[in-house]
Amino acid sequence: MGITGDTYTLFKREMLIFKSNLRTNIIRSILFPVILILFFGNLGNSIKGVQIAVVNNANNPQSIAFINSLESTNAFSVQGITTMTNGIEGLRDGSLAMLVVINPTFPHSSSGAPGVYIYYSESSFTELSSMSIIESAAEKFGASAEQVQSTVQPQSFGASAAFGGKSSYKDFIVAGIIIMVAAFGAIFGGGITSIMDRQLGNLKAFLITPINKLSILLSKILSGTVQAEIYGLLALVIGLLDGAGVAMGAIGYLWIIVIAALISLGFSGATTLLASRIKRVEVYAIFANMITLPLWFLSGAFFPATNFPTWLQIMSVYDPMTYAVQGIRYVMILGYYPVSAMMVDIGVLLLFAGVMLALSLMLFKTTIE
Amino acid sequence: MTENAVEIKNLVKKFGDFTAVDGINLLIKRGEIFGLLGPNGAGKTTTINLLLGLLSITSGKILINGMDINTHKSEIKSEIGHMMQETVVEPDLTARQNLELFAELYHVPKSEIPGRVEEALKEAQLTQFADVKAGTFSGGMKRRLDLVQAMTQRPKILILDEPTTGLDVQNRVEMWDRIRELNKRGVTIILTTQYLEEADALCNRIAIIDHGKIKAIGTPSELKKLVGSGNILRFVVGHDQTEKAAGILKKEFGLTPTVKNEVITADVGKNDWSLLAKATEKLEHNGISIFEVSMHLPTLDDVFIKLTGSGLRDTTGEMQTRAAAVRWGRGR
Repeated sequence: MGITGDTYTLFKREMLIFKSNLRTNIIRSILFPVILILFFGNLGNSIKGVQIAVVNNANNPQSIAFINSLESTNAFSVQGITTMTNGIEGLRDGSLAMLVVINPTFPHSSSGAPGVYIYYSESSFTELSSMSIIESAAEKFGASAEQVQSTVQPQSFGASAAFGGKSSYKDFIVAGIIIMVAAFGAIFGGGITSIMDRQLGNLKAFLITPINKLSILLSKILSGTVQAEIYGLLALVIGLLDGAGVAMGAIGYLWIIVIAALISLGFSGATTLLASRIKRVEVYAIFANMITLPLWFLSGAFFPATNFPTWLQIMSVYDPMTYAVQGIRYVMILGYYPVSAMMVDIGVLLLFAGVMLALSLMLFKTTIE
Repeated sequence: MTENAVEIKNLVKKFGDFTAVDGINLLIKRGEIFGLLGPNGAGKTTTINLLLGLLSITSGKILINGMDINTHKSEIKSEIGHMMQETVVEPDLTARQNLELFAELYHVPKSEIPGRVEEALKEAQLTQFADVKAGTFSGGMKRRLDLVQAMTQRPKILILDEPTTGLDVQNRVEMWDRIRELNKRGVTIILTTQYLEEADALCNRIAIIDHGKIKAIGTPSELKKLVGSGNILRFVVGHDQTEKAAGILKKEFGLTPTVKNEVITADVGKNDWSLLAKATEKLEHNGISIFEVSMHLPTLDDVFIKLTGSGLRDTTGEMQTRAAAVRWGRGR
């Protein structure tokens, strides 16, 4: 048996221990996302005066009443325009936050097209919340706004262009929480068990066997990654149960799995590296949280990074979590993962995981004695 | 194959400025039960860690079954079993899972694992608890599991670091029986212990280590002879009166007493029991406050005190604590 066999043996041990404490592990890992998603995900919308434009192609009493109801919410400052082109211009130059296009058949949908199209220019929190208000207003008239289809390629809005009808702050925050749970899961998975193994003598017991030393580290990183991934997907399930959605569908789930796996791998590498330098669980917990929490906040998990002051925005550029959260948001909210954005996100995550893996492999070797 | 299971030649291990093992020479014969005795921090555990290949040798040589530890690391690892001072059993895994894990780590052929695990469980009398989490076991059960776990790869040499520390008397005696039984099957056993009677009861030969050096080596009776052939007269007196008391014993009874801390020991004739009463009376008469008096055949304790001067007191342990405190200062 080579390093692969040894790694598998130890990986199996980690997973058996994980399984043996399954209930505790699951409860511990889902408590936080449950609270965050149920509590913050359902926060009321408190937005005011968002600039929106309406193109009324129906011009019937229902459509006029719909526009009035939008005006009456105080959330919007509504401006009537005649052509969609003008509206898209407005989205481009930033004078408009959203464009609502009422179809001629409003409130009835025709041949699969919904009653209302909603376009918006930024995937930010304000617009997403606004979206649900418009949706619910449309629904009052029996029109659906949720099956909105693109008639314009999303790229034509520019890099941060977005399109979707089924989004809410819940989708927004679930993306952030999946990544958070995965990263925090990695702290528990690889790092803490490494320290415990050293304290309890298991590490020494492994080292006197004829296995390859690196397999000890690799098994920790791999089991940590798998566990973190499980936690991340549990957070997704909680989000879905609470009404969040994955706009991209089946392929979207695959993307979420890939992105969560990459961030888990990176953080498992980082935390195992950290653990190999620290002898006490308490000290480790402080350091691990000190690193992970700020990264999480910087990633724009709760608020869009674009709302941060400039200096924080610059920092968030260097935060690998930003790219993971961003990637999942494309998939969950927009239902469309632009190739350019995907290359950047996945590239950064691969680089992060690769560097962490390499560092921990290099440094673990020297710290074993 | 040589007849020596372990050959240690001029072994030195330094940690920075601190020399933990200072030129040890040892030959441990095949089939022996060999005891390593010494105060805490004397270099026993360091020596064992060197034998296990956990530490790199500063200078010197270790040959295990005739193979150099530096060049035949992986072959040697399969020939040595080790049970640590702390019981290393994964509490969240069952007894069977624990055994399977180590069988796999020692690269026992897959087909042989189930058989060996069954056998080990039987030997540890844990067959009916095979699928129970080890965390629920008593201390004695865990220790038994730990011992069979160390034997899963069928090593020729078994190194036991304080095998009975923390066990109650019954479990200790049982552990001794197991160690003897393994030895009968041809396993060379090297053990460290802090119980001198344990070394006396188990070991064929004993090495006493202090400050990283071997102070004496031999069979228990050879070692006892170092202290004297007759009885040992032993007084514990007030610490400021030791010299005075020793002087009296020397002058009045013609003895050659040794003073270590508050303890005065002197070698006396084999059947000279009346000396005890006479000496006690004399000392009392001279105003010496006596705390303890005894006269007995030499024990390993006497050897120990004579050679290391510290009994089993933990002087170097303090040093390690201080070293750890320094490490804390570096932020670990």
